[in-house]
Amino acid sequence: MVIGNETKPKIGQSYVEAVRARFGNSILDETWQAPDQVTLTVSLNCLPDVVEMLYYEQGGWLASVAVNDERPLNGQFAIYYILSVEGNGDEAPPAEKAYVVVHAQIPPHQPEFPAVTPKVPAAIWYEREARDMFGLQPIGLPDQRRLVLPDDWPDNLYPLRKDAMDYRFRPEPTTENETYDFIQVEGEGIVQVPLGPLHITSDEPGHFRLYVDGEHIVDADYRLFYVHRGMEKLAESRMSYDQVTFLADRICGICGYAHNVAYSTSVERALGIEVPERAQFIRTILLEVERLHSHLLNLGLACHFVGFDTGFMQFFRVREKAMKMAELLTGSRKTYGVNLIGGVRRDILKEQRLTTLKLLGELRQEVTTLVNMLLETPHIVQRTQNIGLLEAQVARDYSPVGPTLRGSGFARDIRVIHPYCAYDRVPWTVIAKEGCDVLSRTLIRAEEFFESVSMVERCLDAMPDGPVLTEGFTYKPFQFALGYVEAPRGEDIHWSMLGDNQKIYRWKCRASSYNNWPSLRYMLRGNTISDAPLIVASIDPCYSCTERVTVIDVRKKKATIVPYKEMERYCIERKDSPLK
Amino acid sequence: MLKLIREVLRVGEATISYPSKPVEVMPGFRGKPHHDPERCIACAACAIACPPNALTITTDLDQGVRTWSLFVGRCIYCGRCEEVCPTGAITLSQDFELAVADKQDLYDHADYKLAACRICGTYFAPVKEIEYVDALLQQSGLSDDYAANVRALLEICPACKRKNDVRKMVGLYQEKD
Repeated sequence: MVIGNETKPKIGQSYVEAVRARFGNSILDETWQAPDQVTLTVSLNCLPDVVEMLYYEQGGWLASVAVNDERPLNGQFAIYYILSVEGNGDEAPPAEKAYVVVHAQIPPHQPEFPAVTPKVPAAIWYEREARDMFGLQPIGLPDQRRLVLPDDWPDNLYPLRKDAMDYRFRPEPTTENETYDFIQVEGEGIVQVPLGPLHITSDEPGHFRLYVDGEHIVDADYRLFYVHRGMEKLAESRMSYDQVTFLADRICGICGYAHNVAYSTSVERALGIEVPERAQFIRTILLEVERLHSHLLNLGLACHFVGFDTGFMQFFRVREKAMKMAELLTGSRKTYGVNLIGGVRRDILKEQRLTTLKLLGELRQEVTTLVNMLLETPHIVQRTQNIGLLEAQVARDYSPVGPTLRGSGFARDIRVIHPYCAYDRVPWTVIAKEGCDVLSRTLIRAEEFFESVSMVERCLDAMPDGPVLTEGFTYKPFQFALGYVEAPRGEDIHWSMLGDNQKIYRWKCRASSYNNWPSLRYMLRGNTISDAPLIVASIDPCYSCTERVTVIDVRKKKATIVPYKEMERYCIERKDSPLK
Repeated sequence: MLKLIREVLRVGEATISYPSKPVEVMPGFRGKPHHDPERCIACAACAIACPPNALTITTDLDQGVRTWSLFVGRCIYCGRCEEVCPTGAITLSQDFELAVADKQDLYDHADYKLAACRICGTYFAPVKEIEYVDALLQQSGLSDDYAANVRALLEICPACKRKNDVRKMVGLYQEKD
């Protein structure tokens, strides 16, 4: 089955040929969703080998894994490993860049599949989630703990199975206690420091446990998903496919529009809808406006955590201009809600354009002053250089995204690798740094801010006239495709399959922080606990406000609960350790 | 340090003393939806488009009443209702100050009379919706005879229309025989 675009040259054919050369008969099917998106159906037993080959030999990065209950369609469960395959960087001419999706079917009478994690560590969270949500056992996965479902959720109830439950139903809790099995770190003098359940600097609760020897972090473990909202189930059950754009806006309070565009483009690609040029430019402009306010927020927090609160206030004052810009262009400071399937609902008029250009000029000038001030603060380099190291090899193994990855020497940005919207029509530069530390990640955000300002200016200048919305397309059942956006924190990937009832059959959305969390453990190791909030903030997670922190002393075998405010104070002042 | 102090002094006060002074929103801001019950024809297009089900329509066939209601507590201010409304009865206002002491104040509703079918007497559609269609027909430039025929159908419920059609078809076949 080949869908549309037969005439356009296929990008990624060489990877398909390489896989066929090695695995030949195990490749059961090949379908193209877009000129640079191919889905290969492989037999279940060679799934890990195919993914490993694409990941390590062909320069693949694990973008997402979508699981789908396709029993009503063909009697099988399906699992899709979505890889962005980009070559190893030493090819001449440069390797082609494509999304290669490795798909395998899992029979319902034997709901298990060979785990990919032992070969490609980046799959760890996805496979734990597949077990939680669909009851598919990854055979050979070392971590047997739940990821998404709470401890009090009944066994054998897998919420995303089509026959499992009504989306409004919440089963009775099965236990009163927290039964999550945090990793055990044994050793002379190690202390556990639990941070959370309400965690560090954020909007979402998470339970962190730091294992410390004196002041030094030996290891870290964390449990998140305390506020899982069941959005995928809600979208599949109640909403029509064109309403889901508004739900996607609400996935994140900071980068909601990125999710919105990722969802819309996934559906547009699946249905073969051409979005008008002008709408592509408007989307690009709004995505960059969103990056402006998000990066300013993180820079403000960076000031706060090194004890430079005046800087924090100043960054937030200036950020208000970016918020006003969004309000002017979309009618709302957040949750822009301007996307429809097929384009956008609001055009940018001359007056709005002029006001935006004026605001951009002011932003560039004021932020330049503030960033210089931040870098001249004596503490900043001392507190952030060589702190929270994310080694290049760990980054390669875990597929982190966004400034977290680019801070470890990989100049990888979806806007360049898989250009969408109008990113290939205006000139700009990808920012990457070699330091692997908190400082690199912060500097990347500062430099990207100025790139975004220029990009909005160039888009406003270059945008063509014309319609902003394509209407009158046909809804085709059971088509699927990927949508992707480089959000401020990294790529957001949406995999959508349409149903046959004006709904979405399956919507797998993966936010950027999901790929960044698993590598955080390695960034925390070897640092002191006073740096922990700084390191967590440096991945700019979709994070929640920590109220308290648990510290476990390995030497004294003693757990101490430290109020989060106290941890934060210690991070800022670095005296009077709460552990003494 | 000096630079910082200079910057702080240059900027001065960045906040305003809200709520004693009002906050201006940008033109085109999407705030609390405003409903004009005079213009509304209770067609339910808004309720179908509304992503969070903040707008709902309930129909009481015994009393012959259709109720349009909005619960602002669920509203996401997307403005889809404004876009799909055929009569411009809903517009998003600039009002963002939505705190209330009583939850009931977040509800807004309007009742519309339903028309009864000329044949069977069952309630089937809002009177105002029928009037709206009638007005459209008058402006559509159809011949008077044809428009009169179509307008006669406006007062009949879908079930009776179907029955009539079947009767007509059967009649046609009988004539043939």
